[in-house]
Amino acid sequence: MAAPARAQTRRFGNKVKDAGLAYLFLLPALIVFSVFSYYPLYRLFWYATHTQSRFRNKPASYVGLNQIKASLTSNDFISGLTHSGLYMLYTVPLGLLLGVMLAVSTHRRLKGIKVFQTIFSSTVASSVAVASVVFITLVNPEIGYFKNVPWLSLRNPSTALFAVSLSSVWQNLGLTFIVVLAALQTVPDELIEAATLDGYGAIRRFWRITVPLISPALLFLGIVLVVSALQAFAQIEILTGGGPGGATETLLFKIADPRGIRPLGVRASYSLGLFVLTAVVAGAQYSIMSKRVHYGD
Amino acid sequence: MATDPTVSAANKQVRLNQTADQIVDPLVPAPYDNDKAVQPPRSGFRNVVATTTTYLVLTALSVIVLFPIYMLLLRALSSPLKYISAGQPLYPVSIEWDVFNRAFGQASLGRSMGLSFVVTFVIVIAQLLTAVLAAYAFAFLEFPLKKLAFVLVIGTLLLPIEVTLIANVEIIRKLHLLNSVPGLTFPFLATAIGIFLIRQGFLGIPRDLRDASELDGYGHLRFLFKVAMPMSKAIIGSFIVIAFLGAWNQYVWPRFATDRGAWQTVQVALRTIGSENPGELNLGFAAAIVASLPLLALLIFFQRQIVRGLTAGAVKG
Amino acid sequence: MSAVAFDQVTKKFGDTVAVDEFSLQIADGEFMVLLGPSGCGKSTALRMIAGLEEISSGILTIGERVVNHIPPRERDIAMVFQSYALYPHMSVEKNIESPLVANKRAKVDPIERLRRVHEAAETLGLTEYLARKPGELSGGQRQRVALARAIVRRPEVFLMDEPLSNLDAKLRTQTRLELVDLHRRLGTTFVYVTHDQVEAMTMADRIAVISEGRIQQVGAPQDVYERPANLFVASFIGSPPMNTIEGKLQGATESAPPAVLTAEGSISIGHPGSAVTGSELVLGIRPEHLHVTDPVDTPNALRGTIQNIELLGHERHVVCSVGTTLMTVRQPNDAPPVAIGQAISLQADPSGVHLFDPTSTDRLN
Repeated sequence: MAAPARAQTRRFGNKVKDAGLAYLFLLPALIVFSVFSYYPLYRLFWYATHTQSRFRNKPASYVGLNQIKASLTSNDFISGLTHSGLYMLYTVPLGLLLGVMLAVSTHRRLKGIKVFQTIFSSTVASSVAVASVVFITLVNPEIGYFKNVPWLSLRNPSTALFAVSLSSVWQNLGLTFIVVLAALQTVPDELIEAATLDGYGAIRRFWRITVPLISPALLFLGIVLVVSALQAFAQIEILTGGGPGGATETLLFKIADPRGIRPLGVRASYSLGLFVLTAVVAGAQYSIMSKRVHYGD
Repeated sequence: MATDPTVSAANKQVRLNQTADQIVDPLVPAPYDNDKAVQPPRSGFRNVVATTTTYLVLTALSVIVLFPIYMLLLRALSSPLKYISAGQPLYPVSIEWDVFNRAFGQASLGRSMGLSFVVTFVIVIAQLLTAVLAAYAFAFLEFPLKKLAFVLVIGTLLLPIEVTLIANVEIIRKLHLLNSVPGLTFPFLATAIGIFLIRQGFLGIPRDLRDASELDGYGHLRFLFKVAMPMSKAIIGSFIVIAFLGAWNQYVWPRFATDRGAWQTVQVALRTIGSENPGELNLGFAAAIVASLPLLALLIFFQRQIVRGLTAGAVKG
Repeated sequence: MSAVAFDQVTKKFGDTVAVDEFSLQIADGEFMVLLGPSGCGKSTALRMIAGLEEISSGILTIGERVVNHIPPRERDIAMVFQSYALYPHMSVEKNIESPLVANKRAKVDPIERLRRVHEAAETLGLTEYLARKPGELSGGQRQRVALARAIVRRPEVFLMDEPLSNLDAKLRTQTRLELVDLHRRLGTTFVYVTHDQVEAMTMADRIAVISEGRIQQVGAPQDVYERPANLFVASFIGSPPMNTIEGKLQGATESAPPAVLTAEGSISIGHPGSAVTGSELVLGIRPEHLHVTDPVDTPNALRGTIQNIELLGHERHVVCSVGTTLMTVRQPNDAPPVAIGQAISLQADPSGVHLFDPTSTDRLN
């Protein structure tokens, strides 16, 4: 290769020449992000710090942080937060457990195993709306197959959320199965053989060797499931409409406010609350993932 | 590690002969092959018992997983009122074969499916374009404020549509884009995940190839279309499939970006199809089945891509 | 008592026979090398000893026990894998300790464990790395951790599956010495699999040469080198490989000893063994037993042309075309100079001649 004079005429890595093209290439994405992600964030703050007047033509009045403070400490918000939290509790551990169970059971040499693998990953093809409609056939108080099962009752405020969350658990099976199975398949043959030779029985081998090695994937899944729980809306709207008595209203449901009973400012405050929650989860994910030691490759 | 290629191919053949195929494929780097056994081999009778038990357990699990789908199918085909009065058995009651026709006719399922297709295609193509361009900039170009731009992209992960929902609805409303294709698609024309995925693919292109292209006199655009994209076909394919999945399944945004029945995408329409009349519930169930068909097709024909796309962030290799 | 004995052991994968009626006795304390090209079945044989592959037929004994159906952890063996198979999430210390804690039933008590782990670590020079994780170690260090994990169990048999193949050349030579030394110190039976004949020659007490699932020959390195049992062993062992040429056996006359007549001349040989006069056979001669002379038509030489001269520093290899085959001659540096293209004659030491049957490839003399 020629001498340093080349550095100025290099195409790749040439700061000045590249910049124009780079900005051009980035423009479309950045425009979309600015208009539909960052600008709305600003608007949320604006809405949260202003109350809308009842009358069309009267402008909104600035109320500072009072509305935000009042909204985020209201019972309505706290109940939304609680319901979202419960939804997470219902869907994440169960989802991970079932995913691991299914993946482990099909991670073996057996004739026809592929059929089972296809079956277990099939729910990845369902949307939230479809999963909700599917569960109408199971838990709807009038026509559901399990409508008389007490702990699945959509009429009972203490069990309704759980019943709804099962639709998410079922829907998530496909995803968790696929990811855990892929992770299991990256565990080298020889490592399992070495463990067998060392004397580990099958169960000990699973907990001491396999689980630590797939833990990054499990963590990733955990985060995905948590975020997905935070975004629970369709299943609520389709299965219970928020009832009974608001017992299934998650935070997002209250924000979306399909019945239009909450003022814009309040909903904007809730949205900011959701934003903080999402940021906390993302931050937790980042710190956990980056702490993960990269094992020798 | 050097192995004679013909022999390792022979080895592979030997292993393939003794094991079943797996659904998930080359995510695993060589030399570990895909056929992993969890237990060490056992002999004779114990083996037969173990195998039979495994099959039984797997079948039971499959039944549990498939039961909800079975129910859906059952209820879609059965006459709703007669099914209930028959005590909700596990077999179909008074099958109405025309339920799908009626779903398309009465409930305008065709219109909502069509709208979903249009919206999905627009989103996927737009996301692909914006992601490829942005990923190229991040992977191959140097420019001032590169770090800032990257942070801006990452930042959008904290601002999913659920968080910005009400603000975006107002924006769309003010732009008079409520009940329109632009209204349904604009917020999703670019996605950070797409940019990351494709950037990863681009970064995987060997340095030598870039240098060779440069020596050959390739400009950026030519390099992008003739080298970078073809070499990242796998990741791009996966992204397209995952993007399709995401766009097709959307509920929250289409629900609030439209307020007229004619502008409901199929997911939103599922909420109300068949719900007016208890005797027409099966229309809703049939619609749910139809709404899932494109994704089922994807799962069958593009399994590999789906798996690769889903596991890209989670699993090494 | 033999440490490991294969008695007509066969392994089939579906219809493919990977190991075909292996019969081999490995003596207690011996360093036995299973040598062969990739895919010949040597690794499969090793894995059968370990219990990682089921035996299709035949009897395998370790010590005095028949182990065909005994699970790996009860066989009193330890194995070093080609990729070392270290647990990436455990420290070196925990890795080495692993065999002592893995089996709940056979768990060793903590004080004894500590002692053994440190002993093993010291034997392999790993004491200062005990707290590190495998990802932080070099290839050579990882290999030693794998070895330490193996010796900490004090097994009856050590199994090694191409342990040196992932190391660079220099490290390989060094580690070869260390392994031989380790064997001497421990006195345990080593069963070592490799495709590298240099490793086999330098390390083994005995070599079992394997091809296509069958044992071709078993013997001490020097024996296998000097009296290969068939063409395969002859060409596999020795670098540069043995030269071969086809010819016909001519019986002894009053004036001349027996010779093999080839298209490019004839070569005097010693005793023809079981070869029949007038029969077609393959003659093998190692590069060090060939000599380059001027093309004077002596009766005992092959006619050839020099194609290439490889200078190795301490000697040179002269590659000659003899008819349609190529033959390599090893010469010391002070031999008379030669040039490419030169027409020469090749003379052979009669004592270095090997005769093989062209169809069965078995040794005749």
